[in-house]
Amino acid sequence: MEPVLKGISRRRLLLSSAAIAGSVAVLGSSGNASAAASRVLRLASGESDGPTGTMDPAFNKIDADAARISLVYERLIILDKNFEPQPQLAQSWSSNEKGDVWTIELKPGISFHNGKPLTAADVVYTYRRLIDPKTASPVATTFGELTPEGIEAVDDKTVRFTLKSPVVEFPSLIANRFTYIVPEGSTAEELRTRGQGTGPFKVQEFVPGREPSVFVRNEAYWREGLPKVDRVELRAIADTSARLSALLTGQIDLSWDVPRVGLQALQAAPNLTVVTVPSPYVMSLTLMVDVPPFNDVRVRQAMKLVVDRQRMIDLVLGGLGKPASDQPVASWVQYGLDEPAPARDVAKAKQLLAEAGHPDGIDVELYTSEATAGFLEMAALYQAMAAEAGIRVAINKVPGDGYFANVWRKVPFLCTSKGARNADEALSQFYLSNAAWNDTHWKSEEFDGLIAEARQTLDTAKRAELYRKAQRLLRDDGGVIVPMFANSVGAHRKDLTGFEIHPQKNAQDFSQISIGG
Amino acid sequence: MTRHIAIQAALSLLSLLLVSILVFWLVDLLPGDAAERVLGQDATTEGLAVLREQFGLNHSALARYLAWISGLLRGDLGTSMIAGQPVANYVAGRVQNSAILAAFALVLYVPVSLALALLTAVYRGTAVDVGLTVFVLLGMCIPEFVIAIFLVSLFAVTLNLFPALALLDTAQGFGDLVRMLFLPVLTLTAAMSAYSVRLMRESLIQILDSDYIQLARLKGLPNWRIMGWHALPNALGPALNVLALNIAWLIGSIVLVETVFNFDGLGRLLVNSIRYKDTPVIQAIVMLLCAVYVLANLLADVSIMALNPKLRTRR
Repeated sequence: MEPVLKGISRRRLLLSSAAIAGSVAVLGSSGNASAAASRVLRLASGESDGPTGTMDPAFNKIDADAARISLVYERLIILDKNFEPQPQLAQSWSSNEKGDVWTIELKPGISFHNGKPLTAADVVYTYRRLIDPKTASPVATTFGELTPEGIEAVDDKTVRFTLKSPVVEFPSLIANRFTYIVPEGSTAEELRTRGQGTGPFKVQEFVPGREPSVFVRNEAYWREGLPKVDRVELRAIADTSARLSALLTGQIDLSWDVPRVGLQALQAAPNLTVVTVPSPYVMSLTLMVDVPPFNDVRVRQAMKLVVDRQRMIDLVLGGLGKPASDQPVASWVQYGLDEPAPARDVAKAKQLLAEAGHPDGIDVELYTSEATAGFLEMAALYQAMAAEAGIRVAINKVPGDGYFANVWRKVPFLCTSKGARNADEALSQFYLSNAAWNDTHWKSEEFDGLIAEARQTLDTAKRAELYRKAQRLLRDDGGVIVPMFANSVGAHRKDLTGFEIHPQKNAQDFSQISIGG
Repeated sequence: MTRHIAIQAALSLLSLLLVSILVFWLVDLLPGDAAERVLGQDATTEGLAVLREQFGLNHSALARYLAWISGLLRGDLGTSMIAGQPVANYVAGRVQNSAILAAFALVLYVPVSLALALLTAVYRGTAVDVGLTVFVLLGMCIPEFVIAIFLVSLFAVTLNLFPALALLDTAQGFGDLVRMLFLPVLTLTAAMSAYSVRLMRESLIQILDSDYIQLARLKGLPNWRIMGWHALPNALGPALNVLALNIAWLIGSIVLVETVFNFDGLGRLLVNSIRYKDTPVIQAIVMLLCAVYVLANLLADVSIMALNPKLRTRR
């Protein structure tokens, strides 16, 4: 092997920088990396963007898509930070006694970017398109209760949804990342790169796979005095250190995806503000309950009992998280279970293992990867915590790329993460017996019944109790260890105002941001 | 000599063909397929079926390879599965960006490594040589991305002399472009100066100890003249060989450097395409990079012959 000379460049640099500084002066360049105009908002998403990027709400998938779509389009109903439904394009909504017919009134005086007024026909078109098998939108499965003929325009400003069976949470159900309203007759090809919305910004330039995506102010936006910037430029900066450097040096004004660990540099930076909000973003370890030894509920309980939740939060999330109790609904979310998280109890865990026929402990293999920030640390920490109870964890680190395609739902014990969801989605999408993404293989008729009943119970207090019962059941019997929820963390330049980070990464609101006072 | 070049060229083409088969096969071996990669955690059976149909993944790997290679022979690079646009347009802009980056790096690298090699050779055994060599060995242990991050934190974040990211579209004028490229180019140069300094040092030492240099000294020629006139031209041959080897370094480093500096070039596109298993794009980029490498070696071969009188003469 020959030695490599890298140091020299640093030495050489002192000479070159002087030379370059000279040449820059000669060329009369600004020599300043910050934005020329004060009214440009430069955003950076964390997940990488690329040729799959889209602005078609039906295929809203990555963070950059979600940002683009939320700049240009709007929804009838949105969720606030506690996952309660709030009106956006809707003026009001109401349902019949049973909860299987919903009527939504639109706000008056709203137009699309091309000047066409928003009417009920656009809403009908949007929803029919989402459930059309030909569209193949991932949201279609969520909308099993909808039929094309059940979506109709009563008049210009009124839409009626007639469902196959009651869904009392219909407003929350339609407040997801796919239901942005598009004009009647929009084709997939139009929507992908040059769709017309009602939102605060119009698309100026978006070529999938090319950066940045550029948006300009919608002069005719229906909310008085908004937006307060003229232009938005969006990039995806996947490399964490690059994203932080860009924030620190002022090449980016705002990112809503900042690593929770190692925030000191950002917090100490005089030109930046770090923003954070508790989010029901699930960090978890998933067990398949039909694979020994996890098929014994006592083993599952022992594996939950060894976790020191606060320590997990401190070490894996840098303190920016909230303890969870082995089920995916956070206590502050609507219908959340407000009971203290289980305390660590090694003695009880050992006893349970012995009762299950494992007096000498168990050997398990835990898969982890860098697919989600914190997985490696979470696995190592779990290994250490479990060891004291005789649960010997062998860690198997696999590539982060394709982790959710190739490892998730294929191995019996692994680190998983799930985006922030409302209570019903968090419980139903992964833990119903017939859920497409049932990664624990846990099947409980009682749980299924509770969710079905909750969905049809109009009385809010009763409904909350049913959801809470379902959560207790999952916590005590299910195959998922949820030690914690991870906060959403973002950072922006000091003189930027009007941004509140949303716990759902894909539901950020950029409409009220202003820069420089 | 012409015959030799012809044989070399034929071998180069053959190795490119083998690389194309190998890469296609390796990509195919990666777990999952493009449809699964695109849908990720949200994959449903129906969604996968639709995408597989759309991406043409229902044909066998062999059929897909044959379709690709026959297209290539017609000058058609195919269509990116993910972007849905012709690979040629899709890659062209990035080729240009990466070429700019590589050109700057090469321009900087040649004088830097030559000067250093000369220093260590001339001051062989002195503190200068030892100091630089330690430096070299230290540098060798540090991967490019660490160097890149170090440079960014020092020159961009702390001193604010250069931008942290090379966002080419924001450059206003040539000066901006130079400032943006400065840190990535520096990182690349560091990576490339890799072992070339050591190799050139060896060949320079051999030359400096040779009879004709001794003779020049005895004649009383000034030192600069001996170096510039007699030693350096003779050291250029080995330097060219090293340069060809270094192209490989450069290609490898570009991928890392583009990621760290968010530079919109081939390397980043390659990483993204591998993430999605977008075979046509991967094939196009890998073939291009291999072609560059093979061509660089071929050129090095030819120029060494051209520079070396012994190989030029026909007896």
